[in-house]
Amino acid sequence: MYIIKNAFKCIGRSRGRNILIGVIVFVIAVSACIGLSIRQAAENAKSETLEGLTITATISFDRQQAMNDMISEDNGDISENGRPSFDRDKFSDFMGESSSLTLDEYKKYAEAESVKDFYYSVSASFNGNDDFLPVSNDTTSEDEDTSNSNENSFGMNGFFQPPEDKRNQMMGAQSDFTVVGYSSESAMTSFIDGTATIVDGAVFTEGTTDAECIISQELANYNSIEVSDTITLENPNNEDESYEFTVVGIYTDSSSNESSFSIMGATSTDPANKIYTSYAALQAVLDASGENSETVTDDDTGREFSTEIKSTLSATYLLSDVDSYNKFTEEVRELGLDESYNISSSDISSYESSLVPLETLSKLAGYFLIVVLLIGAIILIVLNIFNIRERKYEIGVLTAMGMKKFKVALQFLTEIFVVTIIAVIVGVGVGGVSSVPVTNALLENQVAAQSSEYNRIEQNFGRPENTIPDDMGPGNMGQNDIPQMQNGGPGNFFDANEVAEYISEIDEAMNLTVMFQMLGIAILLTIVSGAVSMLFIMRYDPLRILANRD
Amino acid sequence: MAVLSLNNICFSYKDTPVLNDVSYEFERGKMYCIIGKSGAGKTTLLSILSGLAKPKSGSIMYDGRDIKKIDKYKFRSKYIGVIFQSFNLITKFTALENVILSMNIAGYRQRKKRDKALELLKSVGLDESEANRRVLKLSGGQQQRVAIARALSYDAEIILADEPTGNLDSETQSEIMAIFRSLADSGKCVILVSHSPEVAALCDEKYELIKYSKKAKK
Repeated sequence: MYIIKNAFKCIGRSRGRNILIGVIVFVIAVSACIGLSIRQAAENAKSETLEGLTITATISFDRQQAMNDMISEDNGDISENGRPSFDRDKFSDFMGESSSLTLDEYKKYAEAESVKDFYYSVSASFNGNDDFLPVSNDTTSEDEDTSNSNENSFGMNGFFQPPEDKRNQMMGAQSDFTVVGYSSESAMTSFIDGTATIVDGAVFTEGTTDAECIISQELANYNSIEVSDTITLENPNNEDESYEFTVVGIYTDSSSNESSFSIMGATSTDPANKIYTSYAALQAVLDASGENSETVTDDDTGREFSTEIKSTLSATYLLSDVDSYNKFTEEVRELGLDESYNISSSDISSYESSLVPLETLSKLAGYFLIVVLLIGAIILIVLNIFNIRERKYEIGVLTAMGMKKFKVALQFLTEIFVVTIIAVIVGVGVGGVSSVPVTNALLENQVAAQSSEYNRIEQNFGRPENTIPDDMGPGNMGQNDIPQMQNGGPGNFFDANEVAEYISEIDEAMNLTVMFQMLGIAILLTIVSGAVSMLFIMRYDPLRILANRD
Repeated sequence: MAVLSLNNICFSYKDTPVLNDVSYEFERGKMYCIIGKSGAGKTTLLSILSGLAKPKSGSIMYDGRDIKKIDKYKFRSKYIGVIFQSFNLITKFTALENVILSMNIAGYRQRKKRDKALELLKSVGLDESEANRRVLKLSGGQQQRVAIARALSYDAEIILADEPTGNLDSETQSEIMAIFRSLADSGKCVILVSHSPEVAALCDEKYELIKYSKKAKK
């Protein structure tokens, strides 16, 4: 007890030195507090964002890996230019045969415990006829659209589940419409998030096999179609094969606008030319098309292909949280998903993107914290060495009087701890008050830097600054319709266009965790600087000190 | 029975012998004076007696026990009271605090330590206002009195004093020597280290150290 009393007396009677130590610790504490607050804010933002986040996951084929595997298999073949040759036909066949998962397989993975909900959709391209034309700016397209669509469509069939709009554009097929069949209303994310709204009639009955559909208002106006009218869609590969759908509803889609027209003339990529129906209804059409299909030979390439309507199946798994997502990735592997398939989640990607500035700042704050603590600890050690040397005589007297060395050290340690803790408390107070504005100011700079980087990339691509495209430029990604591709999927080439909504402000940075961390820092600084004092005290010989003094 | 006895004590600083085969016995109720010229080893002997230095050979017995078997901190803080030549007070503390600190170190359990300390300081001639003064603001004589009060604070049986009158005027010297005499008369063993014949003359016994000599003169 007297040790603590002595410590307090000594603190009070060596004010100058202790104020100096206090000021240094205060500066360290404020800096550390801000640093820790930034890190805590990043953690809070993460957990708060995650709490409100429903994770959707998709399974996609790893095309890049398949290509690499194919190249390594054909290692011996060298092309004319001396580089390893790549057999495109073989690759196309391989992709067509092995890349697509069947609905049964998708359903099997949906049985994983972590899956909260599961939905799927199928999309296919159709052509119109003279009575039902796609919305288009191109006046010539009306004449051409039904004739050219089947020329090359088989060629790139190997692409695994690209969005139907992209697929058509990539393969050069210029079909008129994209028909998407949904397994449930949960899958119709554009209606759930409000991008699309029914303005006339109603949505088709969930799960119906009746050929009912909803079309966009633009398409309805363009063809003077009203609810309960019938539209006819043709197989792009066989113009003699057509199917009738009854329009039960008309919707508006805010993502449909002038800029969404394809520069390639593939009108099916325009959101206005999207037709929605139930999965069962579209599947019935696809089944019928399969039954009526013929095998024909392409005059140019000599390859054989089926006239069956090509479709793309995609499935989305709804998961409660990130932990469930992580569990899901393990479970599907256990259920037999091959390593050549990737599991991805666009929600996690966008969530991670939104945290980029805060994460960067948090990382910088971490480095800053380490530097501050290191420099602070060194300064405190040096100050304590001077302090101990200055009080050598006192140590000699106390030990000569019979005070044990460890008790002397304990008194010195108490002094350092008391000064440190007072300075840390004041520092935490000041740091706590200033951490939010300082963090926000730093975050603002970070977001500005991030946005500037984004704008630079946008400019490089010839796009205007600060625009967040509703649809992703040429090809209109239509991410709401094809959730499977939201994360880029094979090739991951859409990510560059994604615009993250960065977290640019925090409301609260200080909490109990930061307080405890600061207490930990205070104890750490005391131990580090006190350890040096202890070493010196233990080394001192009272007789020598007093003899030198005499 | 001797309270403190030296048996064949030898001590050297590295290769320089200082004390050689010193034997002596100190009894309660007597005042001793260790005298000798400069460099004879007076302060060294005092350091050995106070447990601050270890002899190269020989033994020191406290009340029949070898002090090697007694914890050195306990020996210094409880059994022996040392008054150093330069007083060795904690300068940032007051006279009173120095005395109380000494009691605390000795583990002295008394409720009214402050009263006891004030009483002790009063007994050596310091009033309350002087007792509450920082030691640096006291004169040399007053600091000497504080050092004596501190040595007495935990009722040690042996009081060691190194040149207790060295820096004092003759009047204060007499007062301080009177205090030591009263301590010896109260049953304590008082051992003074001095080169002053006047101080030696006031003691019951004197022990003269001769440089490098084997035998000391009584």
